[in-house]
Amino acid sequence: MSLFRSEPMKIRSWTPKAASLTWRLYDFQLTTYAVLLTCFGLAMAYSNSVGSTHTTLSPGSPFVRGLMWAVIAVVVFAIATMFDYRWLRTFAWPLYLANVGLLILTLRIGSNTGNAGTSARWIVIAGFQLQFSELAKIVMITVFAAYLAGRQQKITSVWTVIGAVIVLGPPWILVMLQPDLGTSLVLVATLAGMLFMSGSSLKWLGTLFGAVLAAIPFVWSNLHPYQQARLLALVNPGADPRGSGYQLIQAQTAVSSGGPLGKGLTNGTVPLPVQTTDFVWGVLAEELGFLGAMVVLALFVALLWRLLVCSWRTSDQFAMMIGCGLASMILFQVFVNVGMVIGLMPITGIPLPFVTYGGASLVSLMGGLGVLQSTNLRREPPAW
Amino acid sequence: MSVGIEHELPAPKNLYRFGTFVLAIVVAVAALGVRMFYLQVVEGQASNQVAQGESSEIEAVPSSRGLIYDSNGTLLVKNIPNFTIQVIPHDLPLSEKAVVVRRLASLLNLDPLVVDSEIDSATGSLYNPVVIATGVPTDVARVVDENHDILPGVHVVAEQQREYTNGLLYGELLGYTGPLNSDEYANLKDAGYSSEDTIGKAGLEAYYESVLRGTYGQESAALDTNGQPIPGLVTSISSPVPGSSLTLSINARDQALAQKALQWGLSAAGVKMGVIIVENPQNGEILAMVSLPGYDDNLFAQGLSQTAYQTLRDDVNTPLINKAVSEQYAPGSTYKLVTGTAGLQEGVITATTTIDSVPYIELGVYKTRYYEWNKTGWGPLNIIMGLAHSSDTFFYQLAQKVGLDRLTYWAEQFGFGAKTGVDLPGEATGIVPTNTWKMIAQGAPMYDGDIVQVGIGQGFVTSTPLQLLNAYCALANGGNLWQPHLVTKITDPNGNVTDVQPTLIRKLPASAETLQTMRDGTRAVVTSRHTYTMVDLPIKVAGKTGTAEFGIKDKYGRLPYHEWFVGYTPADAFNGDPTGTTSQLAVLAFVYGADTYGDISTEIVKYFMWLHYNLKGSPFNQKTPGYIPYWVPKRTNFYGTANNH
Repeated sequence: MSLFRSEPMKIRSWTPKAASLTWRLYDFQLTTYAVLLTCFGLAMAYSNSVGSTHTTLSPGSPFVRGLMWAVIAVVVFAIATMFDYRWLRTFAWPLYLANVGLLILTLRIGSNTGNAGTSARWIVIAGFQLQFSELAKIVMITVFAAYLAGRQQKITSVWTVIGAVIVLGPPWILVMLQPDLGTSLVLVATLAGMLFMSGSSLKWLGTLFGAVLAAIPFVWSNLHPYQQARLLALVNPGADPRGSGYQLIQAQTAVSSGGPLGKGLTNGTVPLPVQTTDFVWGVLAEELGFLGAMVVLALFVALLWRLLVCSWRTSDQFAMMIGCGLASMILFQVFVNVGMVIGLMPITGIPLPFVTYGGASLVSLMGGLGVLQSTNLRREPPAW
Repeated sequence: MSVGIEHELPAPKNLYRFGTFVLAIVVAVAALGVRMFYLQVVEGQASNQVAQGESSEIEAVPSSRGLIYDSNGTLLVKNIPNFTIQVIPHDLPLSEKAVVVRRLASLLNLDPLVVDSEIDSATGSLYNPVVIATGVPTDVARVVDENHDILPGVHVVAEQQREYTNGLLYGELLGYTGPLNSDEYANLKDAGYSSEDTIGKAGLEAYYESVLRGTYGQESAALDTNGQPIPGLVTSISSPVPGSSLTLSINARDQALAQKALQWGLSAAGVKMGVIIVENPQNGEILAMVSLPGYDDNLFAQGLSQTAYQTLRDDVNTPLINKAVSEQYAPGSTYKLVTGTAGLQEGVITATTTIDSVPYIELGVYKTRYYEWNKTGWGPLNIIMGLAHSSDTFFYQLAQKVGLDRLTYWAEQFGFGAKTGVDLPGEATGIVPTNTWKMIAQGAPMYDGDIVQVGIGQGFVTSTPLQLLNAYCALANGGNLWQPHLVTKITDPNGNVTDVQPTLIRKLPASAETLQTMRDGTRAVVTSRHTYTMVDLPIKVAGKTGTAEFGIKDKYGRLPYHEWFVGYTPADAFNGDPTGTTSQLAVLAFVYGADTYGDISTEIVKYFMWLHYNLKGSPFNQKTPGYIPYWVPKRTNFYGTANNH
């Protein structure tokens, strides 16, 4: 295949008839679920901004900034939808290099914003905090998809697994150096999910899993003390109720106090650490109760289902891998983030997709979904 | 066929893998759902009960911290109420905010805009109090408190604050209190400390924390639905018991005079760091202890900004460290006390044995020269004149004859190399070098050159100023090494007084004759005019000078040096026998990095004695202070390379 053979949409396909055909391929459900989840996120940001005293919204409040990011995310989504995703496959490796470059840049000039000591995760450009590790998740999905699609003929070979680990290596190490344990875990989980779905050999995947398990003691000894403390707090939150365990106990208290129906938006009272980001689920569960939490979980399940449906329908391996990658990533993040708040998983600082307040996360996710819609629009109509 | 990628086969769809993924989603979400159900529906009923205002919270009631008095009953530190005006944003209705802020600002004489921005800029929970003003006068605090119905959300909190009557004078000695840090909290939470508590951080405030603190009381406060205590619904469980008060051996007058003398000496020498300690040799009571530069305790009591604290902490002259006990320096010739006592008591010399003091001695295969401090020597000297001239070659040779083991033994008998046990935190031990010590520290045994250096208090020997003074106190009182101490009485809140008895560390295993000879030597130091005009004072002083090289050579090959003087007077300072054992006043002065003609520390002690005994005239036979005498800073090395005398 020559470099530029993959052709963009033809002009004539924008004739009304073709357009209606094209839009039939568009997955409205997928978009709807994502938008609804984003609305929940904005509601939480609103709750955090006004508090229970209904102070006026200031321009810098999470809600206002969240709205702004949502607008940007919609624009990015639209652009990604119209853009021919096959270009991404063409430019997968340059994208990969740019991604590694951005991560190095983050390490070199990144700002320490505080609560985790000397971490360098953000770059501030024009007043916006940009967290390139969020972008890295989506870029790495694209890169893995291109890689696995290219190895379709010899997918069961052990070299598929080894090659994937080598590709993952540089960005993973750069993310760990920030240090951002959460994102590095998401990268690993995403790759694992994609390898599994690509049809690679279960035997070698199992071997890789065993190797990862064996590496845990080594990684543990290289973790920062605050990271170790957060992980240990899961085992015994009572040991240090004012330190790491405090977050866990407070989070579970918040969830419990929500009850079946919740206290109502903005009525949450249990003080939580990082309410707008990692522990947003605690606020959500407290204010919207079991009912609201289940609605959000159901939306996630529906979204994941649509992602899998899109993956199943496409005839392009690259497109299928993107869908599976997104599904793996979202499933892992939801499980770890919610699990962390309710005491099933250790505290690792993984955002809740769409709901967590954070521009980079939302824009990256919507960009990823946009790419998936792009694959929908450009797939061969099903034979049936 | 997908467009443009014709040569690739349609993606093989593995139904089992997709099925497994769906199963994973189901299992993960089911796990989350079950846990959420348990937390919110099963446990949620119970926790909602808690939130209905049925609960209460046990709160600590601070006790009044013990006071500190000097030996004459002068109050050195007391507690004053510190009224703080706080606003809890949650309790301040938005509609009334502007009015309340204006009222509050006019009461506190603040700019309403400032108050407004302080409330708005507070981060964190709306229940966290925002401090608007501290140190509010009592009458204003009362007005604010009485008008709380027109000032919703505004609270007056009375906190205890320490007030030091002369914070600059007692600096590191009394220390200060401050909020617990997280490590201290972790260690002390079982002892009843709360994370917002204060604790003694330095000096006596830290050492006597458990005595001064008292016992906190407890009260039970009913909580509202937001988990906030309901005012008026507070029941006392136990009352707080105030802390005990301390009476110090410190004499406020001597402390002030000592500081005055040291400040004069430091400015005359043009340096910043120095120590003066006054001790009663008869029982180890510390009468004065000044370490300069110091700090004002009240700065800490009133709350020190982070930058101000860092400035203090990073100051090269270490104002935060009590250099009298927490730092160790080469004692120089004052250490000849140990060498001399060892020589006499081990039978190496007698009071009349003479040793030739020569321009230098040569040691080792390289014939390394160890110089007399004046590079000439005085010919044959006995121990008394050896001390009087502070002859280095005399003590080099004596140290060689005594040997390292017995030198170490005598140093330890005098209390060097071990903490004195003074009731202050952070005491240093000093170093008495042995072969074992040097093997560990430098991987080599003590060479002959090292041993002769030990004989004159140089080389590897270090001592805290207090250790050195205490050793001389043992000489001055006839051989009793007392544990120095600052607190003489502890008075509990019921008025019961516990006297702190002096502790005898050991009786020196030296004969009365040996110590008498050494005291004769220290008197000869003064009468021989080795200390210049000190002998002209109408009081009888005995003592020993010391000058110790340290640090790094300058471009001329000269080392900076410390200057020491330890002196003592008989009980009847004017007519008593300075070589007797009646002394009740021993003074040590130490100046760090001094570069003066003569010994500035001798002059400091002399000035202190002159002030202490209310002597007439001038200690310097000149109009002082203000007169710049001949011990002004010098920039050339008067004595050549060996500065030990």
